[in-house]
Amino acid sequence: MLAIIIDDSRAMRLILRRIIAKIGFDAVEAGDGQAALDTIAELTEPPQLALVDWNMPVMNGLEFVTRARKDPRLRDMTLVMVTTESEQSQIVRALAAGAHEYVIKPFTEDSMIDKLALLGLTPTGANP
Amino acid sequence: MSVQTVPNVADLAEMVEQVWTSYLDPEGVEPLIPVEKGANSSEVHSSVSITGSWQGVVVYGSSQEAAKQAAAAFLAMEPDEVSAEDLADVLGELANIVGGNVKAMLPAGCFLSLPQVVLAPESASRYPSAVQVAGLYGTWKGEPISVTMWQSRTDVKEGGVA
Repeated sequence: MLAIIIDDSRAMRLILRRIIAKIGFDAVEAGDGQAALDTIAELTEPPQLALVDWNMPVMNGLEFVTRARKDPRLRDMTLVMVTTESEQSQIVRALAAGAHEYVIKPFTEDSMIDKLALLGLTPTGANP
Repeated sequence: MSVQTVPNVADLAEMVEQVWTSYLDPEGVEPLIPVEKGANSSEVHSSVSITGSWQGVVVYGSSQEAAKQAAAAFLAMEPDEVSAEDLADVLGELANIVGGNVKAMLPAGCFLSLPQVVLAPESASRYPSAVQVAGLYGTWKGEPISVTMWQSRTDVKEGGVA
């Protein structure tokens, strides 16, 4: 299983990579939404999971989610916003744009794994 | 005249505790220990600006050693392996996380900037058009840490300091 981690912080990408490795994901990384789209375009198969920060330079996470949702090739990719944007209105915007779940920073390893499990992303299987 | 409420020291402490629990001290053995302001000084700092219905800056500051220890914890490496780029990355993310959570406690209609990192003391970056409205000071592994909130003087004049 492959995921893409989109965050302008290398430290945060590393933390997320460590966590999702525990449920069987390999990961590619990108520092902003546009870089993520470029990375995905080069893959033979799109990732099954995208963990997306909101506030990033070049292209923010909300725009990435909006564009990803319009791309038929990425129809089956699970989109999870991982961000400090914790206002209800922002969560609603992200979900309306097509995000499947929303994780607020700071998060613990357990809370992230629990959230992904709710989406069917567990060590024993991918998104049903 | 409207009166705005802003996060206080207790709110900052709760946010910082969550950061420590999540990334810097998941085992709960090296928490941030509160200290008086006078005993604290920063050697490096990062900040995020908040604009919109509340205007100001949230600043995370620490000693160089504390920043190095924090970067090492985030990046799962030894402190001696931490580069200046690593320091800047982790300091920026700390300001982003704390600032984002501060924003969530402010009136709706606020926007968060990308973080700015300065590998120099907080006094090197002045906020002449802002006043400090909250400050959390502590030590972690014996090293100083601070989180401060600065509100635009324009905001203070219009809404008062909570």
